Amino acid sequence: MDPALTVDAAELRRAMEYYADQGWTDGLPVVPVTESYLAEFLAQTDRDPGDVLLPMPQLNRACTVRLAAINAALAGCRPEYFPVVLAAWESLAAEGYPVKGIWQSTTGTAPFLIVNGPVRDRIGLNSQGNVFGSGFRANATIGRAIRLGVLNAFGLRPHELDQATQGTPAKYTFCIAENEEESPWPALHTEFGLAAPDSAVTAMVIRSCVHIEARHTRVPEQLATDIAGTISRTGALIHETISAAVVLSPEHARLFSVAGWGKPDLRQFLFDHAVRTRAELAAAGKEAVSSRTRWRLPADHPDALPLAAEDGAIRVLNSPAAVLVVVAGAGNAGVSAVVETFGPRGGPPPVTRVRLGRLPGLARRRQRARLDRLGYRGGPAGDAELGAGAQQVRRR
Amino acid sequence: MADGILLERAGLPAVSICTDPFALTARAMAKAYGFPGFEYVSIPHPVASLSEAEIQARVHGLLPDLLRILGVE
Repeated sequence: MDPALTVDAAELRRAMEYYADQGWTDGLPVVPVTESYLAEFLAQTDRDPGDVLLPMPQLNRACTVRLAAINAALAGCRPEYFPVVLAAWESLAAEGYPVKGIWQSTTGTAPFLIVNGPVRDRIGLNSQGNVFGSGFRANATIGRAIRLGVLNAFGLRPHELDQATQGTPAKYTFCIAENEEESPWPALHTEFGLAAPDSAVTAMVIRSCVHIEARHTRVPEQLATDIAGTISRTGALIHETISAAVVLSPEHARLFSVAGWGKPDLRQFLFDHAVRTRAELAAAGKEAVSSRTRWRLPADHPDALPLAAEDGAIRVLNSPAAVLVVVAGAGNAGVSAVVETFGPRGGPPPVTRVRLGRLPGLARRRQRARLDRLGYRGGPAGDAELGAGAQQVRRR
Repeated sequence: MADGILLERAGLPAVSICTDPFALTARAMAKAYGFPGFEYVSIPHPVASLSEAEIQARVHGLLPDLLRILGVE
């Protein structure tokens, strides 16, 4: 056997168990992180390790570039994924809900990341079959890097500061790439000011991902009505209105495109048809809203404010812009999904450009010098233990 | 919990009220704010779905505890 492939398995397990015992995992094993391994991540960016990516003032904690790098490494990211992880944190900060404390809420939301542009191919992000499923390292570990950061940088652990009643499986990881190659429409990032050769991450806070089966139809109105019915399900209504990211399979996107629909046409149709009658809402006790919080209530609640109906129908979206449309998945069936998001409800989504490493020569030398000054040493000499005694995995 | 602790630190007497299932989080939040022994009132769950009369009953039930924490004789 190649001696380079020989490791001390007992040492590996000891490191794994140590990280688990410290509570630094999401329940799955993590990759041990040494100073030299951390330096490989930090060398992918010209940002200072101390830069704050996402502050959480109510907890007096913040996720810095260094903490993001440690958690990306723990999650199993390769160093070259790190620019995408950084853009994801920046996008989440711009999105707004995490900073306001949504990750402590009983609703139990998870971050949802959509990646666009050439970085998808460069790091092997899946945009095709099984796009929500497992099997792809970049998708699995970039989403997980954020989750581990939430646990370790903010201490937002279940049964402690994370009060999620049930949470969502998306908490483990939820990162997809748009299938730009099989989409008939402009990619998400180019709808919001970036160029096609740019790479971008768009982060959203989400509650669930609902499956739509529609293999039977070639009529765009029928398919769009199916999607609108899913968006307007009463169970999703906590506030007056909701928002959604519609993830269309290439087959469904083509169906609309062949009929002459663009993304704006679909958004407008969904805005107009994501409605419920007052009677349907009343049957679930959600036909009014609180005059103070705008949360859904029955009309006989002392705080209830009736909702305006147009032709007997009450909208659940506040504008066509409350729906984002992306294309992902395999081109093999009429299956799509509605991802129930917390926002945006009218404003543009936080499309964030990925600043790709490798840095140019001079910038890289400067970053190397800065990391050296800060004590991030590359190479074997830098394999000091990290943090409170994290174990170094040695080759025999 | 955070609001109660911040009000107390600003010199304004305050009592936080949580329902029983939030005990773990309440303690974690108090610890995060450097006030692990912060006293608060815990009441039965739920609250959001109660009628007005039931809410009043909850308030009457918690008043002795609230006054005790405030130090009202």
